[in-house]
Formats: sequence, C-alpha cells, structure tokens
Amino acid sequence: MAIERKEIEHIASLARLDISGAGFDRLAEDMQGIVAMVDQLQQLDLDDVTDVIDAERRNAFHEDTVIQEYQPEQLIEPNAPDFQAGGVAVPRVVE
Amino acid sequence: MELFKKTAAELSDILAKKEISAVELIKDVFARTQAVEDKVKGYITVTQEAALQAADAVDKKRAAGEQLSALAGIPVAIKDNICTKGTLTTCASKMLYNFNPPYNATVIDKLLAQDVVVTGKANMDEFAMGSSCENSSVHPTHNPHNLGCVPGGSSGGSAAVVAAGETPLSLGSDTGGSIRQPAAFCGVVGLKPTYGAVSRYGLIAFASSLDQIGPFGRTIEDTAMLFDAITGHDPLHDSTSVQTLFEGRTRASLNPDVKGMKIGLPKEYFGEGISESVRKNVLAAAETYRAMGAEVFEISLPLSAYVLPIYYILSSAEASSNLARFDGVKYGYRSPNFAEDDLISLYVKSRSEGFGQEVQRRIMLGTYVLSSGFYDAYYKKARAAQRRIKAEFAAAFEKCDIILTPVAPTTAYEIGSKTTNPLEMYAGDICTVSLNIAGLPGLVQPCGFDTEKMPVGMQLIGPHFGEQKLLNAGLAFEQASGLKNIIAEL
Amino acid sequence: MKYEAVIGLEVHAELSTKSKIYCSCSAKFGAGINEHTCPVCTGMPGALPVLNRQVVHYAAKMGLATGCTVNRLCQSARKNYFYPDLPKAYQISQAEHPICSDGEVFFYVDGKKKSCRLERIHFEEDAGKLLHDEIDGTVVDFNRCGVPLIEMVTRPDLRSSAEAKEFLETIKTTLSYLDICDCKMEEGSIRCDVNVSIRSEGSEEFGTRVEMKNINTFSGAVRAIDYEVARQIDVVEHGGKVQQETRRWDDVKLKNTVMRTKEDAQDYRYFPDPDLIAVEIDDTWMEQIQSEIPELPLARYERYLHDYGMTAMEARQISDSFAKANLLDAAAASGKIEPKKAANWILSDISKYLNDKEIEVEDTMLTPDKLVDLICLIDKGTISGAAGKKVLIELFEKDETAAQIVKRLGLEQVSDEGAILAIVQDVISRNEKAVADFKAGKNVTGFLVGQCMKASKGQGNPQIINKLIAQELSKL
Repeated sequence: MAIERKEIEHIASLARLDISGAGFDRLAEDMQGIVAMVDQLQQLDLDDVTDVIDAERRNAFHEDTVIQEYQPEQLIEPNAPDFQAGGVAVPRVVE
Repeated sequence: MELFKKTAAELSDILAKKEISAVELIKDVFARTQAVEDKVKGYITVTQEAALQAADAVDKKRAAGEQLSALAGIPVAIKDNICTKGTLTTCASKMLYNFNPPYNATVIDKLLAQDVVVTGKANMDEFAMGSSCENSSVHPTHNPHNLGCVPGGSSGGSAAVVAAGETPLSLGSDTGGSIRQPAAFCGVVGLKPTYGAVSRYGLIAFASSLDQIGPFGRTIEDTAMLFDAITGHDPLHDSTSVQTLFEGRTRASLNPDVKGMKIGLPKEYFGEGISESVRKNVLAAAETYRAMGAEVFEISLPLSAYVLPIYYILSSAEASSNLARFDGVKYGYRSPNFAEDDLISLYVKSRSEGFGQEVQRRIMLGTYVLSSGFYDAYYKKARAAQRRIKAEFAAAFEKCDIILTPVAPTTAYEIGSKTTNPLEMYAGDICTVSLNIAGLPGLVQPCGFDTEKMPVGMQLIGPHFGEQKLLNAGLAFEQASGLKNIIAEL
Repeated sequence: MKYEAVIGLEVHAELSTKSKIYCSCSAKFGAGINEHTCPVCTGMPGALPVLNRQVVHYAAKMGLATGCTVNRLCQSARKNYFYPDLPKAYQISQAEHPICSDGEVFFYVDGKKKSCRLERIHFEEDAGKLLHDEIDGTVVDFNRCGVPLIEMVTRPDLRSSAEAKEFLETIKTTLSYLDICDCKMEEGSIRCDVNVSIRSEGSEEFGTRVEMKNINTFSGAVRAIDYEVARQIDVVEHGGKVQQETRRWDDVKLKNTVMRTKEDAQDYRYFPDPDLIAVEIDDTWMEQIQSEIPELPLARYERYLHDYGMTAMEARQISDSFAKANLLDAAAASGKIEPKKAANWILSDISKYLNDKEIEVEDTMLTPDKLVDLICLIDKGTISGAAGKKVLIELFEKDETAAQIVKRLGLEQVSDEGAILAIVQDVISRNEKAVADFKAGKNVTGFLVGQCMKASKGQGNPQIINKLIAQELSKL
C-alpha cells in the first residue's frame, strides 16, 4: 500500500519528529520505497496471524525487596539538560 | 616487541608468566593506536589514562600473588552503545553526545571483575542503525584493509580496531548482522551469540528482541575467550537472559574435530545478488570441511525471501519505541531552539536535531507499522512470520548440525557508494538478519580474499545455544586454512 | 423523555508492594524528590525491566476476589506516548493478554443487590509526578514512576452515580480485605476514570460516550457523573449531539472541560514489550493465591444481615472493616455469646475508641477472646454494662484478661439483695422531693436508680436496684 503525504505527516507527529521543509520530499520518497519493501511480506500466506503469547520462556521475576543504590544527584543531575529543585525541569506543563 | 600483533591467548600466557606487564602491553597497544588511528578512526573515545591505571592495578594484583582471570590485563575496546560508568557513551549520536552513564552494562561489570583493560569506545552507525559505519554523527570509520572502503556496520569501529591491531579484542552488538558483517569486511572473527546468552542490561537498545552483545577477536580461541567472559544469566537485570550450560567454558572445550559433522548449505543464500568472489570463497570453505570429513549438503530455507521485510518491520517497530525516551527531557541533547513554554516544541526540535537521517527513517517506519490501522498487516503479521522462520530453522537443524552461508553479498565497498538509497544498504543485510529473527547464534570468520585483496567472511549458523559447535567448526577451518590473526598493513 | 445513564469505570489502584513493579526501588509514598529512583524507573538508556513477582500475585488475588478468570499466561505491552512524567515515553502495561478477564462485582444499592461486570484487570506502572510550584516551569519527580498499579475496567453496567459509588466502595473494601492496597485516597492510592453516556430509558442501544479524567475521590466521582449526565441531557434536549471526547473534571469548580476531542485521540501503538517474557501462573501458584483469599465483605454483610439480625447499616459498618469483621466473626465463633452483642460493642464503644485514636483493632491489645470474656462477665452479672466500658478501655491498652482487670479495678458488681436494699431504703429516705413527686404521679425511677448507683459506687446490679426501687416505692 502506498503511503500518503498526510499519513507521513501524521506518523511524524506521533513520533515527535519535524519533517517539514526541504527534507520532506526526500523522506517521503524513501518511505515509499521502504514501505514497498516491507510490503513484500504481504505475499506470504500465513494462516495464523493472531497475537499469541510468545511463551517459549516464562516467568523472570525480582522478589519484592527494596534495593536503593542511587542518589538523585548521581543518577539524574549529571546528565540532565536542565536540573532545578531536585529534578529535571521542562517548560511549564498545563494539564 | 610488537605486542599488538599477538593474540589475546598468547598475551594472556606471557602476562601470567610475567614475561611482560599489563602496563607494557597497554602502552604498546596505544602506540599502535597512536600510529594508525588517524587513518582508521575506529574509536569515538580512547580512554588512555584510565586504561593505564587499570593495567597498573592488574600488575599490582599479580605482583601480590592474586589469582587472576585469563583476561586480566588484556585490552578490550567497547562499542559505544554499551554503557560504561564514567565514560561517555554516545551511540555515535548527537542525541547522546554528552551522555555519561551513571552505571555499567552487565558485560562491563563482568569484564572489570576479570580485570580487563578497556581501551575506549568504538565507533558505530548511529544507534546501531546501518551497515557501514557511515551513519556515525562523529566520523566514518575506515576499513584497515583499504582506507577507501567501509569497515561494515554497525559495529564497524569494534571490527576495525581489532583488524588494525589497536586491540586484540572488542565488544560489538548485533541486531541484524552488526557484528558479523563488519567482522567479514575487516577479516576478523565475530560471534553473535544466541539471544539471551549475554545480558543486554546497559546495551542502549535498538531492537530489544533482536539485540545481542558479542565478541570480536582475530582468532577463534580469542573470540571464545571473550565470549566466556561476558556470557551468563543476569536474573536481576535482564528478563530475557538465560542460564546456559556452556557458561565460561567454550574456550576450554574447543575441539577442532568436524568428522561426521553435518553442514547444510542453504541454496537461497548463494543465489542472485551474491557476488562471485563471496560465493567462490564460501563454497571453497565448504570443500575444506568436506575434506576434513564433514558431511556437506544443500538444504533449503524458502522463507529467506521474506526475512528483510520481517526484520525491518520488527526492528523498526521496537526502535521507534525504544528511542522515544530520547526526548530532550532527562539526558542527552536538548535543542536550544525550542519555542518558549512549548513542551511539544522541545520534543520535536530535540529529536529532529538530535537524530540523524537514518535513525529518523527507522523511527518513522516503526511508528507507521505500529500505528492504528496498520498494526495487524505489518507488526502482527511479521511476528507470525517470525514464528514460521523459527520453525523453518528448527526443521533444518533436524537435518544438519550447523549451516554455512555467506555473510554479505559483497566484500567491503567504497565509502559513500551506498549512501543515497537506503534500500541498497538494507539489501546487504540479507544473509544475516534471519539469525536475529530466529534468535540463533552465528559465527563469522575470514575464509579468503577477493581480487582486490579484501577479506571475505563466512557465516556458520548454529541451533540455539550451539555456540560450542560453531566455535569448534570455526577452529577446524581456521587450522586448515591458516586464516587467523590477520592484521591489516597500515 | 426520560433518560438513563450508562456508566463504565476504569479504576486504578496502587498495590502496596515494598518495591516497584520493574525495579527494586522503594514504592513507598512520601520520599524526597527523586529519592526512590534508579536507571530503570528513570528510563535511562540501556536499563531493563524485571517484573516484581508480588505484583502478579496481588493482581491475580484481586482477580479471584472479583470473580475473574485468572489467565494462566499473560504478557506485558508498551503503551507509547510522550509526556514528561513518563521517562521511557512508554508505559509498560498489558494489552491483548491481561492477567485477569471477565469478572463480576456485586453490591447493594438501597437494599437491592446489583452487579457490574469487569472486562479485565491488568497490572502496569504508575507515572511520575509533575511539580508546578517549585520553579517557573515544571519539575519532574520520578519517585512514583514504576509504582505498581492494577487497572480494573468495567463493562458499561452501572446506571447511576449511586451505583458507581457503591461499586467503588466495594472495590475499595475488597482491596483492603486482600491487603494489597493502602486505599489512602489522599495519597492517590485509588483513582478512576469514568465513561458516561445517556440513552432514552428502555433503549438497548448505547449513546456516544464521554470519558472523564482527574477524579480523585468517590464523592468526586458522584459529582462528576451527575454533572456529566445532566450536561449530556441538556445537550440532547437542546437538539445537540453528544461528542465523543475526553473531558477533565474539576472538583473545585464542579464542572468539566474538554481535554481531547475524537480527532486528536491518541494512538498508543500498543505492542508486546520485548524486554519482558510471558508470565505463567501454574496450578500450585494459583492454589496458593486462592488459599489467601478471606471471606469477602459482601458475603459477610449478607451473613450479618441474615444470621446475626443486624440492620443493613450495622452490617455494612462492620463488614466494611476487615479488622472489625474479623473481630466479630472470631468472637461469634467462640459460641459463648450472642453475636449481636459483640456487634453492638464493636459498633459503639470499640469504634468510638478506634476513631478517636485513629487506629485499627490490630494496633491495640484487644483480642476476640478478651471481648468474649467481657461480654460473658456482663451476661453473668459479674460486672455492670457501665463497668464493662471501663474494662474495655483497659483491654485495649493492657495485656490483661477482662477478669484480671475487673479484679484489679474492683469493678465486681454487688448483687446481694440485702446490701442493695439497705442502699435503696437509704436513698429513698434522703430524697423527700422525689417521694413527693412520685406521689404526685411523676416517674422518678431513673433518678433514684442513678442515686443508688452513685451510692454503690457504680457496683450495684442495676436490675436488682430497679426491682427493689419498684418494690419500695409501691410500699409508700
């Protein structure tokens, strides 16, 4: 199935990518090609396209005990682009 | 003394006998790096100072009479998508240009516990997406055998530094061939372990269900040695890691006897698109096995026609989700250009400026195949097809012990020759992605050279947790062919 | 036209595990900003989740308690969306294969038994908290990221805000009976989203539904539903059409506003989380979970109503509290007392004491045996009811039997008629006004009993005092 320009824009907004501007046509063209390539899968006839649970392996758990090995100033602060009042800061979020 | 030319096994031996010190060794290795790195550009970060300190610590331990591991003092380079506490881990992306992990990947903790000396962080395609190392935001890496050619990818840096003698060993990661194809292009050995054999904790995920960390070396024995050091169950940190029987013992169990071994040659892997030099050399390797008493015969894996779509659907879908966390909020690149008081703008600008073109293409594809209305036709169908591929390999391993195939359609190609059309690049993954789809182990080693004197690799595929079989067969070929410890003239 | 509301709920409950759902950080409420964090719950690159076994256990327990099928196999899935409180930009939840399916919850509304089916229960991780007061922008506190939740999704079976409230109360008591949730509403332990539509009464069709978010209390849910039902009726009555949208409830302004319309509905791109493997609950595990489920509130409520002769309000008040219900049932199980008497103690003095101190039965020294002994002492006339109240206070606070306390405090009741008669005669002789009043036809018994009790320092048997006062007055 060919992928429409509007669809590409929608996908980009879901992915939080800005694809406007000069690169758009190139990306659109690439996407057409890539989607055509993955569409080859449609030629494969499968009788069981259900979402079965992949249960080859089961049950990997941690037990309910607390291990607290990190301090926020080691963990978050060193890599945070904007660290204020003990946490990462972002533009004001209006809920 | 040219210590850099020795294998890890030889170095381990003379370190243990105290004929050399770890400091002497690391200095010699860095002298080689000093001499050739400008041409190869295999590293993003060289951790010379820390390495010297680590080597010194090893020497002190040895002097104190401590019992040390076989890898103590041995230099190892680490792909730059494996988290190293206190050392930048960038994934070769502007997005993580300044990321300094506050923790080690499990494999790093394991190596440090065995007193390995980390030399630095190796270059790669951004977020491991690519097959040429040209998608690095830092710089491309050059093939040590021909500086005009790519080293392969995505673990191109890890393969190149081993081939160039800048380290005897390195770690890479393999999502669709990212260890095996650069190993082939650079004439070194690379092992993609069975899914679950090595903990993925601390490996910055590309596609979680396909990613595996694995070793590079210049000999089968060296590769086994590093594999032994990193494999193992990691129940506290990686739900997909498993307990295996061979943990830590493949090197000790190496046995180059292939008499009666059944080796399948899937005809689909030798068809159209595979270059003559590759086909010829891999088939010659098959003859070598036959001469050593193995039973070599043709098999068929008809679903091979669908492996590229399946791979690109599954890997991109997972990538679109795995890479969503790079949003400019918590770490890494935050665009200075976002509109004030606009969170969406912060996300969009940071991601669009931080990710390279190829990464953005994969995120777009992955978002598309998971999106409402397309999920069933793409993602769900690819998962169903994946089950069929697994079944097809399982049936093949009823008939043969291992499978022998080419690694890539061609040998290393010129830098810049495949960058215009992504589909051309993707087509190069045709021989490798099926193993990731099926979770199987694959061993790549040199089997000859093409007319341009570029290395040709071959791929041995084993059943789940069949690493020992692969390494044994690899060792048999290595001994018969003499193709080992190849260091590029630079 | 008469309208009927059609209501469905999505209830989130935080599970009271010690550690988080996918890492070993503490799940405790109230730590300093980002103190309970690690690479996993802050979404650091390369960090991977490992599921907390207890979360599976608790979720399955709730499933069994609400009549669900607990699925032998289940799987986690990623829900993808960008928000600063979601560090991985996806929430690990469950999609096509939840842990529990198809349950039914029963409850009473105005004495009528009703039910609401559950479509599913799944487990998932909570998101972080956005703080707006600290700085000019917003600061993210990741402590709550990865705190385990179960989400219970109902079928659209509820028909009024009263039904919704009773359903929620039942969920809450069930959670507390199972001891899998703190049920502290003020800490956000239980939260719900509400789906509301209306249709003409008697119709089988469903109307367009509106989802409402940001409902933090059960009474808030009632207000929000009533508001929304009224709003939708108003829209329809004015010839309009209800739009499919998500609205945000404001419990201060008592109104809701549009958050998202159908057009900008999110596409969460759910898919199985490749970092996690399937969960299997085998027979042994299932049996173990089953064995931990106590008799549930509704069953006790009905038993109290029918077997113990309690009123609906009394039965409800006791069955709402696991501790009180256990106290009652254990006391009744002794076979030595009438259950209703134990219930009366629990509903009055015991509840008052606990409420005043803001504690639970298990925080005191009171045991069912002690309560039974206390009631027996009163039944036998050893102590008066008034003395019993004093004894009870001691029972809460001291490790002593009722008999020991009675002895220590000298509360034993005087039932010797000769001794009491002397007191009664003395009191009558000293209260000439009462006698005059009595002769004038007034009832003075209560006053005289009080005087006699006082004279006996509270130890005179009130029945005997009563009897003797009547006897002596009749002689006048």
